Amino acid sequence: MEVVLGIRAKDGVILATSKAFTRGISVLKATDDKTRILNDYNILGFTGEGGDTTQFADYIQANIQLSTMREGTELNSKAIASYVRYELAKSLRTRKPFQVNVMLAGLDKREEPFLSLIDYLGTRVDLPYAAHGYAAFYTMSLLDRHYTPDISVEDGLKLLDMCEKELVKRFPMEFKGLLVKVVDKKGIRVVKGNE
Amino acid sequence: MQAQNTLLNTEYSTDAQTEPIEHRFNPYQDNGGTILGIAGEDFAVLAGDTRQTVGYSIDSRYEPKVHDVGDNLLLSANGFSADGVQLVKVFQNQLKWYHFDNNKEMAVSSAARLIQHMLYRKRMFPYYVATILAGLDEEGKGAIYSFDPVGSYEREQCRAGGAAASLIMPFLDNQVNFKNQMDPESNGTKRRPLKYLSLEEVIQLVRDAFTSATERHIEVGDGLQILIVTKDGVRSEYFPLKKD
Amino acid sequence: MSQQDPSTINGGSAVAMVGKDCVAIASDLRLGQQSMGVSNDFEKIFHYGHVFLGLTGLGTDVLTVSENFRMKTNLYKMAEQREIEPESFANLVSTSLYEKRFGPWFVGPIVAGLNSISSKPFVCGFDYIGCIDYAKDFIVAGTASEQLFGMCESLYEPNLEPDDLFETISQALLNAVDRDALSGWGAVVYVITKDKVVKRYLKTRQD
Repeated sequence: MEVVLGIRAKDGVILATSKAFTRGISVLKATDDKTRILNDYNILGFTGEGGDTTQFADYIQANIQLSTMREGTELNSKAIASYVRYELAKSLRTRKPFQVNVMLAGLDKREEPFLSLIDYLGTRVDLPYAAHGYAAFYTMSLLDRHYTPDISVEDGLKLLDMCEKELVKRFPMEFKGLLVKVVDKKGIRVVKGNE
Repeated sequence: MQAQNTLLNTEYSTDAQTEPIEHRFNPYQDNGGTILGIAGEDFAVLAGDTRQTVGYSIDSRYEPKVHDVGDNLLLSANGFSADGVQLVKVFQNQLKWYHFDNNKEMAVSSAARLIQHMLYRKRMFPYYVATILAGLDEEGKGAIYSFDPVGSYEREQCRAGGAAASLIMPFLDNQVNFKNQMDPESNGTKRRPLKYLSLEEVIQLVRDAFTSATERHIEVGDGLQILIVTKDGVRSEYFPLKKD
Repeated sequence: MSQQDPSTINGGSAVAMVGKDCVAIASDLRLGQQSMGVSNDFEKIFHYGHVFLGLTGLGTDVLTVSENFRMKTNLYKMAEQREIEPESFANLVSTSLYEKRFGPWFVGPIVAGLNSISSKPFVCGFDYIGCIDYAKDFIVAGTASEQLFGMCESLYEPNLEPDDLFETISQALLNAVDRDALSGWGAVVYVITKDKVVKRYLKTRQD
């Protein structure tokens, strides 16, 4: 019942994740960060089976950084999405697959805003806006109605606020608010939720 | 093996069942077949193939399942044929009592409502059938009513039911209701206007639908029975279909 | 809910037809998670040189298998110093799928193309473990395959000109996916003739 939301604006990408770290019926932490910074212009949001999630995200993060060190050049967003999907698809047909759903947000070649939704099966779709799990049922209608391809990050954040309000109002689980990060020309920054 | 070991070594011990027997009786069967109804301006047709199957076996190549039930009404219940036959019988009986009680013909809309009640009263042990009723409405226009097994119903211009319904229905959408067809002059801005089809066009559509379904569905074939209802009464036509 | 059929999680359909000195291949654009639509630009038609492949089924396997064939056809091209022909590609698909006989890719592939030497139209389909279904007329695949069979069997006629083939395959696909909740959300059609390939996106119902 975790929330991961993403909006691709014309000048950047927004990635929002719920701050609740839950185990069973208890909320163990209200300041969880379900994202990993892969490099200067790419972040990975994730949900799924506890343990699998951080293990997988750390593995991806380390390998992306390793690749940068070895090759002396950063991987672009599409390449990262390709790699993450490959790892999940490979894992799917093993004895114990990673049960992790991810969302990749970044500036492709430090230029083009990019958002990719990848589930634990390795189903990858590049989308203008996306959500994982049950949150999608509550937020997609709002995003469908108000999103335009030329939306700015500023307006995107307003749209995200509408989504969060709807989730607080209708979503039956306490998710302790959203941690919102933005990737744009200036790099990655936290805009909300790390108070 | 285990069961035998626990048995006394008598002369009957080898006859004992070693595998568990299925005790549950399945009251339903799928007899295949497909039916199709189309309404025209002043007529309606109800057609069905005449093959009856159980699994891969063909039990009959000519078992008509579209019935002229009287009062210018056509009725067919496709699926589990025993239930279909029973439904039609019960309907005809009800219709007889309707005549005694009301001394008038039953309207197609009333017949439809009656069938809903007949189906719903068996909500917990349903007639396993897709039902189509055809007739002429109070204005003399063709009417097709289609039902699910528990009586949910709707009046439509056309409907396919049974084994090959999924093959025929999109074809009907396209050729009867002109779905996805555009006026070529309008550059894709205007839909092709609806119009009533003539009886000849409808019969050709029905025959095409069934020859196509016969080609790709093993439970459809042998013969095509078409019943046509007009103000002058009910007429029947038969066309052979492939027997393979 | 948890017990699910891999071939109907994401939905999607494809169809290919033979015309007079031409072939056409088309697919819908939907990708869903069960009842929820996720993407409306998930194309299921891929091409390797002049050979076209339609891949329906489990989304992740559609991506994996299409990438695998990209690799294999590139290696083929380097070894043979020419593009792969449709007939050979069909055999490549078949053997590649059967390799995974006991842990299969959950895909429903169809192949379409013109042989570059003889210009002979070629279409065929497969089951998910590689059994080839050669066809003279048309091939269907995906969650709307029953509907497509009904449409194609009734609309198709042999030796259609490219424009008429386009209309036929489009109407077949459109009306079929409209009767399938898991297919639709846009469509794409390729009409392949000897000297050109025309790709068209169709305007469709959005429900």
